Amino acid sequence: MITEILILGTVIGGIWALVASGFSLMFGVARILNFAHGIFFVLGAYFTISLNSKLSSVLAQYSLPFSIFLSIFLVGIVGLIIYRLFLSPLKEHEIMVILVTLAIALLLEELLLMIFKDISISVPSVLHGTLSFFGIPITYTRILALFLAIALLVILELFTNKTRTGKSILATSQDKEAAMLIGIDVDRVYSMVAFISASFASLAGILYSQIYAVNPETALRVLIYAFAIVILGGLGNVRGSIVAAFIIGYLQVATSLSLGTRWSEVLAMIVIISILIIRPKGLFGVEV
Amino acid sequence: MFLLVVVVLALLGCAAPEKKEEVVKIGVIGPMETKYGLAMKRAAELAAKKINEEGGILGKTVKIVVADTKFDPDVATTEFRRLAQDEKVNIVIGGFSSGIALTMIEVMAETKTLWLGDASSPRLTAKVKEDYEHYKYFFRPIVANASTFPLDMIEMLDNYLNKEIGLNIKKVAIVRDAALWTDDVMQKFEPLLKERGFEIVMDVKVPKGTEDFSTILLEAQEKADVIVPILAHVRGDSLLKQWHDMKIKKLIAGHDLAAIDPDFWNATEGKCFGEIYTADGGAVATPINEKMIEFIDMYKKEFGKLPEAYSAYGVYDAVFLYKAAVEMASKAGESNPFDPDTLVKYLEKFNVNNPFEGVRGKIAFTSNHDLVWGDEFIRNYICQWQEGKQVILYPKNKATGQFVKPEWI
Amino acid sequence: MKKNMKRYLFVAILFLILLVLPFCLPESIVYLLGLMFLFILYVVSWDIVAGYTGQINLGHTVFIGIGGYTTALLQNSWRFTNFMDFLAPLPPLPIWLTILLGGVNALITGLIVGIICLRLRGYYLALVTAVLPLICIQLVNIYSPVFGGYEGFSIGFGKSLAQRVIFRYYFSMTVCVVSLLALYFILKSKIGVKFKAIREDEELAESVGMNVVKYKLLAFCISAFFAGIAGAVAVHYRLTVGTDLFDIPLMLMIILSAIIGGLGSFHGVILGSVIIYLLKNWIIKNALGLMRLEFPDEIILYFLLIILILKAPRGIIAKLSELTRTEVSRVLFKKE
Repeated sequence: MITEILILGTVIGGIWALVASGFSLMFGVARILNFAHGIFFVLGAYFTISLNSKLSSVLAQYSLPFSIFLSIFLVGIVGLIIYRLFLSPLKEHEIMVILVTLAIALLLEELLLMIFKDISISVPSVLHGTLSFFGIPITYTRILALFLAIALLVILELFTNKTRTGKSILATSQDKEAAMLIGIDVDRVYSMVAFISASFASLAGILYSQIYAVNPETALRVLIYAFAIVILGGLGNVRGSIVAAFIIGYLQVATSLSLGTRWSEVLAMIVIISILIIRPKGLFGVEV
Repeated sequence: MFLLVVVVLALLGCAAPEKKEEVVKIGVIGPMETKYGLAMKRAAELAAKKINEEGGILGKTVKIVVADTKFDPDVATTEFRRLAQDEKVNIVIGGFSSGIALTMIEVMAETKTLWLGDASSPRLTAKVKEDYEHYKYFFRPIVANASTFPLDMIEMLDNYLNKEIGLNIKKVAIVRDAALWTDDVMQKFEPLLKERGFEIVMDVKVPKGTEDFSTILLEAQEKADVIVPILAHVRGDSLLKQWHDMKIKKLIAGHDLAAIDPDFWNATEGKCFGEIYTADGGAVATPINEKMIEFIDMYKKEFGKLPEAYSAYGVYDAVFLYKAAVEMASKAGESNPFDPDTLVKYLEKFNVNNPFEGVRGKIAFTSNHDLVWGDEFIRNYICQWQEGKQVILYPKNKATGQFVKPEWI
Repeated sequence: MKKNMKRYLFVAILFLILLVLPFCLPESIVYLLGLMFLFILYVVSWDIVAGYTGQINLGHTVFIGIGGYTTALLQNSWRFTNFMDFLAPLPPLPIWLTILLGGVNALITGLIVGIICLRLRGYYLALVTAVLPLICIQLVNIYSPVFGGYEGFSIGFGKSLAQRVIFRYYFSMTVCVVSLLALYFILKSKIGVKFKAIREDEELAESVGMNVVKYKLLAFCISAFFAGIAGAVAVHYRLTVGTDLFDIPLMLMIILSAIIGGLGSFHGVILGSVIIYLLKNWIIKNALGLMRLEFPDEIILYFLLIILILKAPRGIIAKLSELTRTEVSRVLFKKE
């Protein structure tokens, strides 16, 4: 049992870390909790499938990787548009942001249901084959997902710490007014963060759908987990949310094995509420 | 300003309803965001088209009105009410999801609407027995009573897999929808399994929308000899793909509604190879009689593909069943052959001695409006996915192929 | 004095119209209007906490759902077996009693929620309360043999408010009118003043010796009670109970109605509810039907909500300025 929890939990933890980091980044930098984040997760898979079917005749075996990259980019753009159109004017009014993003999430979910019905979508795996690790069969796809997740998080870390643009994001998250004073275009930073956040979520969704599958209802479920992770790790603390992602991943697998998947969702929600009440800054939070 | 609103309300409300009488309206209700609903709608429209081409029902054109339940009891009952009261349909066909159907049946009773239903719970027809006056309008020609599924499944496990193929299955892991209908199935299945010497070592309920079966599969592999899905709301796609990817060493054999779709092979990237499943209500795109061949051809021509779900066959049959009942009533001299109370009597005339020939076989009703189950009538065939094809394994007289074991088992 | 007379006359005429309506409207519309009365209660009860005491509770549907499920289960006590066995052998109870118990159950829940929220402010209050209904939905799904899961269940033909829709309409209308009157007088009384004091400046209120905790909790209890009653009546009206009573779309509709009407404004909120309810369940459906579009009507509603929040959340309220209190918008849009 323990080996299963460790292995399955690690893979799902990696995917959750991708989702949560974007969610956390958005809050840490722009003070926006985007409840439509779950939609970016599933959109990645939906765009990929649609693009792939349209392009496969033209691009043959390059169609799939191309579709994947293009849809990550497209979902990033969607995130950007949503930010500019709906969130930017409202960002001072946090409760309104919750309502608007919830409404956007539900609206997009209805649209997806209307277009794609409730069919589960799976992006075809790029790798095939299985490895046996301590008696547990793991597909190469899962291993790849874990590597990609870690790689991207490392890239994000390097980006924010080493590059100029990245540092401007960091600066804005620490002190918005000071950042403006030294000439950083804060609004541009927010837009960038919105793009990054959404594209990370969409990559996570694509990886998830390669291993499992997504359907429009998955968006809300992912949101709950992302929310729990971000609260646990400390709102606004990206590194904290990465650690929290793995914690939640292991907890989720452990609960699913013992009690069933519905309990693991209840658990996530209880985590949210208890942390917010008892220790709002979470495990590593700096802000309250 | 408020008064204005009210006046507008009243005016809009008193707007003239549409002229009917020359049209026979058939309401089709189901979860239209799913393949099952889509199949229902298409089959009904196909049936209507064919009937209209041949002169309609008693000369009147058939019109299909569609309603979406969205898997929500409030929406479903509101829509049923809309069909019955606003649209004034002559009959409602469809359903899906026994829990939702149980809520809709109250509206049926209140509005006295004929309903040819698609939901397997025995509770629905039990109501017909308990309170005939109110619930007699419910008939169930589209799918068999859930109590019959265990009959098919036990034959699959005991008679076929154990006795005929020679497997030695004793321990059973069940993976089922967290919905009302599987509780009803288990009520009959559990004692049957015990009776025939099987042991249920695992019984997991999966909520709708579940995509992650890894932990369930690993646990089942360890504890059981066979994995028996009882799924309808949850689609088996992910289950089969993960089963294949993780090379789970035990067979999957049971009730997986999604597997009936001819497109399932593509949907699972061929990973459903080896899955054994029951074909509900005899719905499988395998020509078992003339009418079936004709139906499949028509469907393909009209929509470009084979029927995507079992509900297509049943709904198609239901429309023609209705037509037959109306025509019988008319011939017998009834003053209003469309009257629901009258038609109940004529639908009941399709019994064991006088079945209706549908595309899936002979449709006959029991005394509480259930489908008669049996080889000559409607039963769920045991099938297996092999190399892109759906092969019927059992019963013998309908078999089109042999059992194949996936290589890693 | 004259203004008040005008008002009473207006209300009286309205009342008469509502009494007579069922006779000139088709039954399906009467059915709709009956449910609309209950929706109005949902929104007005929410406003007590959100508009008057300034606590944005995003989990109001918990009260509605608890009211609904309580009465549904008490009427079908066989469902309690293997869960709360001691309740299973209950004798059949009269409907008014189980509805009342639904309200009481909701009230107790309201008290608990209120206590949880005492330590929370604004944003965090909203986040925590938003999650509560989701937990309820999950529990309903987990214990589906008892609660019916996502399929819900029907309480039985014999348990409806009345066999004929027209009597259900009158029952629902009565409950609504009586509740609204009660709420009106509560809010007009000293209690209402204290609620508003909390909204305006909580610390100040406390410093002049007001027992803020008591009044915050009182607000939650009143809000929950009426929401629970409305939810319970709704279940006996439509005969089904399901997770939609807890779900986010209902909450968004309630909020939308209150925003349009103006939080803290009694008549405004009622008007907003009527508009939104009719819009969703009737006007949009007909419009779509006329245009032969197969569109889920929710999409239009969400669109409306988004645009409304964006375009002029203050503008709309300013437009209906005689009906609104602008301080309330300050609460809603308070920068944390």
